[in-house]
Amino acid sequence: MRNVDLHHGASSDVGLVRKVNEDSFLVAPPVFVVADGMGGHSGGDVASQMVVEEFQRLAEAYDPARGAEQVADAFARAQARIIDFGNAHRAMTPGWHAGTTAVVAVLVDDNGVTKWLLANLGDSRIYRITEGRLEQISVDHSVVQELIDSGQITAEEAAMHPERHVITRALGSPEGIQPDFFLLPLGSVERLLLCSDGVTGMIEDKEIEEILESVADPRDAADRLVRAAVAAGGRDNATAVVVDVVGLVKDASYDSQRQLESLESKLGGRL
Amino acid sequence: MSTEARFAPGDWYAVVGEQVTVLLPGSQRARVAGLWDLADSGADADALLDALLAEGLSSLDHVALVAHGDDATRLIVRGAPTAAVAATSGEEIVSAAAGAAWAERLVTGVTSIRVTLTGDGAAEHLLTPGIARVSVVEFGTPSDAVAAVPPEVPEVPVLVAEPEPEPEPTPEPEPEPAAPMSFGEPEEDPTPTGETPVVEEPWSDNDGQTQAGVPVPDFDRPPIPGQEMAPDVVSQPVASLVFSTGDVVAVDRTVLVGRAPEARRFASHDQPHVVTVASPHQEISSTHLEIRPGAGADHGSAIVTDLGSTNGTVLAQPGLDPEDLKAGIAVSLIPGAVLDLGDGVTIQVTNP
Repeated sequence: MRNVDLHHGASSDVGLVRKVNEDSFLVAPPVFVVADGMGGHSGGDVASQMVVEEFQRLAEAYDPARGAEQVADAFARAQARIIDFGNAHRAMTPGWHAGTTAVVAVLVDDNGVTKWLLANLGDSRIYRITEGRLEQISVDHSVVQELIDSGQITAEEAAMHPERHVITRALGSPEGIQPDFFLLPLGSVERLLLCSDGVTGMIEDKEIEEILESVADPRDAADRLVRAAVAAGGRDNATAVVVDVVGLVKDASYDSQRQLESLESKLGGRL
Repeated sequence: MSTEARFAPGDWYAVVGEQVTVLLPGSQRARVAGLWDLADSGADADALLDALLAEGLSSLDHVALVAHGDDATRLIVRGAPTAAVAATSGEEIVSAAAGAAWAERLVTGVTSIRVTLTGDGAAEHLLTPGIARVSVVEFGTPSDAVAAVPPEVPEVPVLVAEPEPEPEPTPEPEPEPAAPMSFGEPEEDPTPTGETPVVEEPWSDNDGQTQAGVPVPDFDRPPIPGQEMAPDVVSQPVASLVFSTGDVVAVDRTVLVGRAPEARRFASHDQPHVVTVASPHQEISSTHLEIRPGAGADHGSAIVTDLGSTNGTVLAQPGLDPEDLKAGIAVSLIPGAVLDLGDGVTIQVTNP
């Protein structure tokens, strides 16, 4: 994956209502994660952090040719840790659970071709900008999404549905985990957004699209999304990770490293 | 110890021979069929170890092996699995210490062994020789749970690789609906930050409080209407696809073909095969069509579905007039059939 140049930005805010930020995120190119924990202080925040730690481990020894397998393994390791953590807590507080959603984006090598492998569990979301339009890639694992899919309610009704925060799959679930995977050609993604429901629950897709379309720097775009969610009420922790594929580096030219370092210093080290 | 074994369903593979059982994570699917061949032909633990290690230790992060000998039971664990061994001499937990390649024990007088792979499910399904997806495996009878297994427990589906034709997997028993999980309330949070909402809270107080509900097992992969669910992956390809570009692709799973195909909502063990074909005149859509192993009446053949491509697909079956595929309608393919996607790209269907 050395030949794909990624720019990224990330932002997270506790919001105006919650006291703890239970969201965690990871930017370790080419591995990006957002996790939204559930269970309150020393519960959800720990669970989402465990996911990030396991994907950090993946990023440190990442083999793009075995991307799907390594992502599945990282999910399994995170699941095992969260279950253990929950079991330890339940010994003191029966009925206690910690869990977390996760959305993951990694670049993989699919028979020599670099592609995006995306995965999700729960109601955090992955969007892409393609041909100037915003498109939601992930499908929420939530009660309301199932009601929408079966035609019982509309997307508008879902936004006010009393069970809109009830998710049907999560890390930490004793039923086991069943992440959905998505494989997209690199060229079909101009910009990628990973975010928690603290963003999508507060601002409309239209506003997300406007921000992603109008703000060029991914760091500024992530900041703007999170600030817009907080300004709209900030009822939940809001986290956004924005990734741009800025170029395919075919070959390392003789001074490419020097150019990169110089660009890096000008841009404040975002490469 | 009796070698009777039970398991809890999960995503690990259990390859169960008469004497030796090998447990591998779901990601090691590719090894399972070969190991089953060995285990079924009565190979001993050393022969299975040889096969497991043939590609080196580095590609084998997690494994457990249990071999029942005449007087002793041999146990090897590497990576995540842990085994609780009860023997006449006492009880022991066996797991590979961090940094160690594996942990191995040769135990005599074993009364029970419980190997935990993921989770902590109750091992209540009978494990018979074959291949099963498991999370926990128990051998023998734990002293404290003699009555835990009612004799009328139905034998659960065990996927057996041989003999051909492979049996249709029987549906898993319906999982018990679990009560929704409860979570700590944010109000109990002992770390006030003094922040107050700037808006009146018009929504219910579970807002911002994502909850886990009851999983709905069969929700995620809606079948094409009027068709039975296809198996995710089949052990033997049902057909070979010969592309005009020279590619040859076996249909042992879903194959997606297009100018820039996108695969959506698959599980880690059934990643579709994605074939990209050039389309200089853009006659081929980005994800144009899907070919996958058929189910039900189409079992054993490949079926094609045009995924709503812009310019359509022409199918010429031997002895029949060419027809335009209707978007979303699956058609069974017979050997010799030719699919024309446009831009000079054709796919010929042959026997595997």
